[in-house]
Amino acid sequence: MTISRRDNLGPALVALLLLCAGGIASWFIIAPALSTPAAPDMQAGYDIPRMVLYYSTLPRLATALIAGAALALSGALFQQVLLNPLADPTTLGVSAGANLALVVVSLFLPGLLGAGRDLVALAGSGAAALIVVGLGARRGFSPYSLVLSGLVLSLWCGGLAAILTYLNDRYLASLFIWGAGSLSQQSWVIPVSLSWKLVLVAIICGVVIRPLSLLDLGESGSTALGVKLVHLRFITVACAVALAAFVTSAVGVIGFIGLVAPTITRLSGARRPAQLIFWSPLIGAGLLFFADSVLQLVAGGLGDFLPTGAVTAIFGSPLLLALLPRLKIRHRIQHMPMRTHMRSFRLRMPIVIVLFGLVLLVAISLCFGRDVNGDWAFLHGASAADIFAIRYPKVLAAMASGAMLAVAGAILQRLTGNDMASPEVLGISAGATFGVAIALFAVAPGFSGQFAFAIIGAFCVLSVIFFSARKSGFAPERVLLAGIALSAMVDAVVGVLSSTGDPRAVLLMRWMSGSTYLIDAKSAFSEIIVAVVLVALAFAARRWLDILPLGPAPSIAIGLPLAKSRLAMFGLAGLMTAAATLTVGPLSFVGLMGPHLAREAGLTRALPQMIGAAAIGGGLMVAADFVGRTIVSPYQIPAGLVSALIGAPFLMILMSKKVR
Amino acid sequence: MTFSRRTLLQSLAVAACVPGQAFSQSTGQRIVSLDYGLSSTLLSLGLPPVGISDLADWGRWVVEPALPASVIDIGSSFEVNFEVLLALKPDLILTTPYLDELLPKLQSVTKVSRLEIFTPTSGPILTSAEAATRKLAAELGLESKAEEFLANANAFFETCRKRLAGKNVPPVALVNFMDARHARVYSDPGLFHGVLERIGVRNAWAGQSNYWGFETIGIEDLSKVKDPDAHLIAFDPVPPDVFPKLADSPLWNRLPFSQPGHLSILPPVLMFGMVNEALRFASLLTDHLERQA
Repeated sequence: MTISRRDNLGPALVALLLLCAGGIASWFIIAPALSTPAAPDMQAGYDIPRMVLYYSTLPRLATALIAGAALALSGALFQQVLLNPLADPTTLGVSAGANLALVVVSLFLPGLLGAGRDLVALAGSGAAALIVVGLGARRGFSPYSLVLSGLVLSLWCGGLAAILTYLNDRYLASLFIWGAGSLSQQSWVIPVSLSWKLVLVAIICGVVIRPLSLLDLGESGSTALGVKLVHLRFITVACAVALAAFVTSAVGVIGFIGLVAPTITRLSGARRPAQLIFWSPLIGAGLLFFADSVLQLVAGGLGDFLPTGAVTAIFGSPLLLALLPRLKIRHRIQHMPMRTHMRSFRLRMPIVIVLFGLVLLVAISLCFGRDVNGDWAFLHGASAADIFAIRYPKVLAAMASGAMLAVAGAILQRLTGNDMASPEVLGISAGATFGVAIALFAVAPGFSGQFAFAIIGAFCVLSVIFFSARKSGFAPERVLLAGIALSAMVDAVVGVLSSTGDPRAVLLMRWMSGSTYLIDAKSAFSEIIVAVVLVALAFAARRWLDILPLGPAPSIAIGLPLAKSRLAMFGLAGLMTAAATLTVGPLSFVGLMGPHLAREAGLTRALPQMIGAAAIGGGLMVAADFVGRTIVSPYQIPAGLVSALIGAPFLMILMSKKVR
Repeated sequence: MTFSRRTLLQSLAVAACVPGQAFSQSTGQRIVSLDYGLSSTLLSLGLPPVGISDLADWGRWVVEPALPASVIDIGSSFEVNFEVLLALKPDLILTTPYLDELLPKLQSVTKVSRLEIFTPTSGPILTSAEAATRKLAAELGLESKAEEFLANANAFFETCRKRLAGKNVPPVALVNFMDARHARVYSDPGLFHGVLERIGVRNAWAGQSNYWGFETIGIEDLSKVKDPDAHLIAFDPVPPDVFPKLADSPLWNRLPFSQPGHLSILPPVLMFGMVNEALRFASLLTDHLERQA
């Protein structure tokens, strides 16, 4: 009893402190409305400051409390049932799924919105949860693969939603606001409906809380005690998803509260699952309450519109980085089909075929296009030289970027032994995006200035990843998770910038969607040179790449400096990603597809795989660029977006096929 | 009521158009415009562009004046389709600071004129739109045409002011609903605010906006409008769930705007436009206020 009481003291104090701080901050918001005397003449029929207090300020504070509690409870449940300290509605992609569903519906089936924004968002979050948790179940709920697939899904949904918005609605930015999570209210409808939903789920939690505690004993222990693990997990995950979906559909994406609150609860002393599940919602409520009141005070001073959700994500995602060392990871040896002693002609054939395919694609892409009336036209006549001069830089740059991304993907997949590793996941692309965002909003330089900022951003992320992962000797999983946590943060910053409705946000979207549009001959040739140098370096390191996937022990046994070689390889992959992202954007997923297709073609060893991946990746980008350029001519769909549209389903198939 | 607006726009467009086409053929001026406002200004100067960007959405955002069928779509303004642009063989491309990153590539095609309307330092938008119209006309050698157009525009604003003078015209707040909880409100130094000043209607929203002329707010902020007579003018498109949601909000129901007749919806008007868009707004608003008075 005494131990348990002491365990409860810490979380109670923290919750009290946060609630008091929030109370004080919100007092400053409420006080002006209370101090004004009630309207002396009631003939006007209303008293504005009071009305705002009763129907906007107070509901907003209540929503912050309830949403914070619900998200924290959701996070605590996820973390408990998945035995994963990083799980949270944001990291599992639930919120982003809702966001994407909303965007798609409002663009293509606006009638459905009238029926209910909430229902649409619920369907989206349900689908996202089904995908991520379904894949997780196949992989035995491995904490790492679950969060990785969740975050990838999250980024993809977020990116796609933003780009769809950009392509369709130049002047109306409502979806940016919604996606970034705003708590502003005009009535009690949202807090009231949220609170009964929260109560309902909390009751269910009360029922499952005891068997849930047994999960800590480990699978065999709890099975021995007669707990039906599968049912328990299903109920708990369903509760957690429902909570997150309710909040997300009501107020948008509020990032990372579900991660932060349970973590604080644990750090302040809660040990048992019951304590975690009891105190997390209280601390979460206090946290969001405090954050939103402070934000209202600050934003009021700035006179700017700041969405709460994006701001919490900016402060929450670094915590994900800080938590990484707590995640227990064991190294998994890459399960590669060991078709050793491949005959040389069987190796050569696939390479010859993909190289031939690449040349063919380049030729088609250079020679065909659409004319003024939208008809297909073969390159000919007097204007041929001019048009060729427009096309070839795009084709070359697309090819070079695709090849670099694919080789970077091959390196990362070999280093991590993980199918889902790809440069998009490393966060380098996100860093470059961030650099461009800063350039656009703070400095507004020309085109070359934007390039410079993108490079600086990419390298900042790279160095953060290196420093945060150095302690672990660049354990592959941590590097990837660090990267994706940074991507999430950058995403949130971009969300804040976009939701101000500033038309410059559209430029950022354009850049993120991976358009080869601004490539000129000079940048295309420098891209090609960079690609040749970096890919050659990767080829030269083929021996390392053959040995590193076998695990630390064999590498050390043959005298390979483990930390240094990993550092070098990650650095190389990072450089290639940065260079490629500058032209095709952060979302292409070519780095994922290239190496996989190469392996499917039978190229398993490092060098053949990288050659194949480079050709396939280059070909994919050239094809994506060609399709994007011609399919809705004179309008153009960015190459990065076209390849992401192919890449994401590919990713889903991959995740469901390659079990273990 | 609509009759007067149509007459105005037609007289402006037609009067300018007929001799202008002859002029454009005689001088061989082939102009491509990358901005809606500049495109419609070209029409009023009697020199229809050969190609414009985002033609597909013209009917959704600009609506009037109608474009000649001969105008070619050259893709989105951010990603002008250079293959189409080259095929059009333009003599002049009109662009804005917003598209500055395209500038070097555009300049490699032909002469480019960069007109500043929306910049952090350009001040009231309507004034800078008029200045940009004069600058454009000077480059095309159409100064007299521009003066005629601007004089007609001012005369029309004056007519609107007279039509509304003496009537019981309420102050108006101008918004686009983003969703059921957020809106963009248009104020100083925006284009619409400038029009309100010219036609003698008070903007109920007192705040300053960004240099594009709008501010994003939570709908509860509309309670900052203290005048109980104020009217709310929302522009299409309004998302379908906005009004059902607002009907449930006690705060909204107590705002002066929710009283019968205090909220109206106008057809879309381009908020990032120039003088033609200002005229369209003035005409739609004056008709509307007259009908209500």
